[in-house]
Amino acid sequence: MTPLAIRGLKKAGDILIPGDDKFPRFSQTDLYVALPRMMDDMYKDDREGFILLTSAFGLMPSFMIRLILWVSSLDHLFPKFIASILRQIYIGVRGVIFTLYYSGIDQQGILDHLGFHSQINTKLPQDIEMQELLASAHPLKRPVMLGESQVIEKARVAQKEIAQLDVSTRLKAIKRLKRVILARQEEIVEWIQKETQKARTDVLTSEIFGIMEHLEFLEKHVEAAIKDETAPTPVAMMGKKSKIYYEPMGVILIISPWNYPFYQAIVPITCAFVTGNACVYKPSELTPLQGLVESVLTEAGIAPSWAQVVYGDGKVAQELIAQKPNKIFFTGSVGTGKKIMAQASEYLIPVELELGGKDPMIVFKEAHMNRAVAGAIWGAFTNSGQSCTSVERLYVESSIYEEFKKELLAKVQTVKIGVDTDGDADMGKMISPKQVKIVADLVKDALSQGAVMLTGQEWDFHSDTIPPIVLEGTTHGMRINQEEIFGPVLPLMRFNSEDEAIELANDSAFGLSASVWGKGDQCERVARKLITGNVSINNVMISEGNHALPFGGVKDSGIGRYKGVMGLRSFCNVKSVLIDGNSKKIEANWYPYTPKKYRLFTDLTQALFKKKWIGFALSGLKLESYSQKAKRP
Amino acid sequence: MKYDVIIVGAGVSGSFIAQDLAVKGVRVLVIEAGRSFTRDTYPRKEIDANAQLYWGGGVELNSSATLALLRPKVVGGGSIVNQALMDRFDHIALDSWRSQSGAGLFSEAAMAPWYEAAENELIIQDIPESTRNGNAEIFAEGFKACGFTCKPLSRAQSGCKFEEGNDCIECLSGCRIDSKQSTPVTVLRRALRAGCHLASECEVQQVKHTDENVVVSGVTRLGRNFSFEARKLVLAGGAIGNSRLLLNSNFQRKLPYLGKGFYTHPQYMVMGLYDREINAHKGPLQSYKSYDAGFRLKGFKLENVFAPPVAISMLVPNSGVGHLAKMKQITKMACIEVAVRDTNAGRIRVNGSGRAVIYKELNGLDRERKAHGMKAIHDIFSATGAREIVPGRLGIGLHLMGGLAIGSSQKSSVVGHDFKLHQHKNIYAADSSIFPNAPGINPSLTIMALSKLAASVMLKEL
Repeated sequence: MTPLAIRGLKKAGDILIPGDDKFPRFSQTDLYVALPRMMDDMYKDDREGFILLTSAFGLMPSFMIRLILWVSSLDHLFPKFIASILRQIYIGVRGVIFTLYYSGIDQQGILDHLGFHSQINTKLPQDIEMQELLASAHPLKRPVMLGESQVIEKARVAQKEIAQLDVSTRLKAIKRLKRVILARQEEIVEWIQKETQKARTDVLTSEIFGIMEHLEFLEKHVEAAIKDETAPTPVAMMGKKSKIYYEPMGVILIISPWNYPFYQAIVPITCAFVTGNACVYKPSELTPLQGLVESVLTEAGIAPSWAQVVYGDGKVAQELIAQKPNKIFFTGSVGTGKKIMAQASEYLIPVELELGGKDPMIVFKEAHMNRAVAGAIWGAFTNSGQSCTSVERLYVESSIYEEFKKELLAKVQTVKIGVDTDGDADMGKMISPKQVKIVADLVKDALSQGAVMLTGQEWDFHSDTIPPIVLEGTTHGMRINQEEIFGPVLPLMRFNSEDEAIELANDSAFGLSASVWGKGDQCERVARKLITGNVSINNVMISEGNHALPFGGVKDSGIGRYKGVMGLRSFCNVKSVLIDGNSKKIEANWYPYTPKKYRLFTDLTQALFKKKWIGFALSGLKLESYSQKAKRP
Repeated sequence: MKYDVIIVGAGVSGSFIAQDLAVKGVRVLVIEAGRSFTRDTYPRKEIDANAQLYWGGGVELNSSATLALLRPKVVGGGSIVNQALMDRFDHIALDSWRSQSGAGLFSEAAMAPWYEAAENELIIQDIPESTRNGNAEIFAEGFKACGFTCKPLSRAQSGCKFEEGNDCIECLSGCRIDSKQSTPVTVLRRALRAGCHLASECEVQQVKHTDENVVVSGVTRLGRNFSFEARKLVLAGGAIGNSRLLLNSNFQRKLPYLGKGFYTHPQYMVMGLYDREINAHKGPLQSYKSYDAGFRLKGFKLENVFAPPVAISMLVPNSGVGHLAKMKQITKMACIEVAVRDTNAGRIRVNGSGRAVIYKELNGLDRERKAHGMKAIHDIFSATGAREIVPGRLGIGLHLMGGLAIGSSQKSSVVGHDFKLHQHKNIYAADSSIFPNAPGINPSLTIMALSKLAASVMLKEL
């Protein structure tokens, strides 16, 4: 839809639905935004006809549109052929406008005002069987053969639609999305739990609560984050203005891992959307949540083409990258991150990589013991350790080591394992069988080199229910302290001085986040010396909980930052604009170059940078006036 | 890979045939233009339901734009979007089919075993009167007051749990609690379990064939070409779908009757406005059907129905303030629909770009039948205290039948008594497209029965 057609649609809409004290006028609803939801599936000639008609409406005064609609309602007075055209206009215009208005996708509660509430209250578990049958019965290998070769192209078209929406309109969809997620909370939690086997509370806090916090941040801060900025303009450019536009990049390809399948979908998708980008989202093949993300987004009014979901494995990702999206946002392992960056380098596609971590936790003797112990346990074992910011190395100051260890072990015993239905479990199962094997290998390797299992001895190294494992006696020479574990394993180590703690913490290929516990000034001093992207002080895994803080890692933990104002801008093309007046003046540094101009420019340069303002003003005036008349003989 | 059988269309007929063949080890591929959903993923808003479950993004119109044709485009077809009313045909319908098609099959006795076989594939329940909503109450009371006969509906459902506050109007876009016996919960699921393939989002556009071989080709929803090959082909794309596919593949030279004999049971919804709350959208959407010998003879039936707000807004006349004033009374609306047993055959053609163009009008007799029905609705609404009666602005066609009529003569039919296209050895059809005329009764159960019969014929030939 062009702006003209939208104008026409709004005019016609206001004639059909002028509203009253309770019901908004059609144009007050901004519902035209939802047009792609219906247009995508219309026949091409119908769609084009409709755009033509509404474009014509856009050029007409309202009374003429009213006349056309009135005449078209008198179809029976006309000969057959004309009558059928009039009826098509009548049905088409009413059909689109009433569908937008009465579908219950508005902000103003139109169906509530009508008193029309229909619902389905019975809750059933997910139909996994049919999902699997449907997936395996398709003879064209989804998604490649089915024609996803065009998804990026389709997204490029869709992006133009998004770009036409102002930020406040995009934020209305975000507001609706919040409503939909809250209304469907339990269904979503169950769905995620089914595919991930997590503890229910893990799902609620990290996937639902986390997303809601993020969406609130967007609502409050996007507008300011991406509005045009004025930059300073130097004296020598007097009379000119400098601006920065934060514009959409185009199509963002989002590739997400399996550890937080809903959060890692909604957060980057909405970041891309509010900044005006279309996106293509590929979930992990382990936790596709097939249909859920689409269903939630469409219900919130984000058209399927604005955020397309493509299912499949790494091959699919490669196909998508080859279609040259404008940016790749990848969260996942270091190995896959490198492959993606290598492929992206062929096309010079900017990448943002949110990769693994090996997060250290440093506990000084001044730390509040009880809190630090509880923090360590949660930080290491929440989501069964399947977080990039899980605590994977715990360093405790020697003087409190034994006492800390005693309390830690006592508390770990109380961690309850299970895939609960009511919130009554702390740790669920592992999501990926491959990861279970990695965890087993790393722990076995450590044990073979002299490490000791203080807890978790009951694990058979095969089951996907891994109990919390605390290891003692590990060293930095062991793989367990160098490679990412991504499981519920906590190597406990000691240090004797602040310097040693910093050295140990920094002795890692990763640098995602860290936590430091103790006195405030000491913690901040240490925080500055850690080579990492994020630090929590006297808390754990909390810096990423504040959506105003940029998130991302250094070293092998990745490239780039998302979240926060900076993160939002990372989805933008930052366009610099210098604006000069529309005058007849010739700039001093333009041709022709003459010996006289060289002299005058020398005077100006000397005066300006020696801050001799009178000299600068005089040479400036001379140069200016000479430049207007200078001619090469 | 070459299949034994390709079925075009995963609606009621396609799903039934797929099951009966697949469980016997036949290698079957079902190709469907629409998307596949499960109870978790059905669209929840009317705008999305219309766009994602129907051809044309909601409705298609006949050439004179007097009928809105609702043609499902989704895995499960009509069984996803219809109300699952299960009725065997009576002798009136079957006799007229027998005399028109010459097929001895069309008698109550001959059809009985196939009806029974079809019924055994589903759970069918009578809607208990105790759950009826305000709309059904008006229907029943009006019938009583006017001396008409009605009867509780039989519906393919396994338990709608009204006591939990479910409103079946939601299920018009797919039943989220899998009570409705849509084919993805019944026969299609069993077909897939038996190894049947299903290519959703693939629109078949061309058929090429020899006596031993069929090749179908088309495009995926995102525009990629595909083609598949099989020994036999079943057309299960419905009246318009089948006619369009064969017309686009130039079958009309051998099959001159192709696309003719198209019927829709044109339906006209009439709203009655009351002073009290009716809440026609709560609970079971429909509870009764007319069961009146007089109505049957006059060629119409009345249905106790309602529709969600967008559909109602399309039916309510006027625009502006007047339209809104009516919409505001949506909870005080009752609604009855007359379905005409139409006699004027329509015709399906294709235009230059391969899109179906539907010529379908009412003749004098059809209009008379409609008028009888409208009169009965007026009587019912008047007898129950309606303040105002508002006839819907648009006719609706959702029983799309014919185009490949069954019969013995090539001049007046397309499909033979053996369910094969005349003069074609390996192309079959058993869905509503083979209906020789409009039966005046909801077609779903009969499509199932004919499909089971056709599958048994095919099994003997494979």
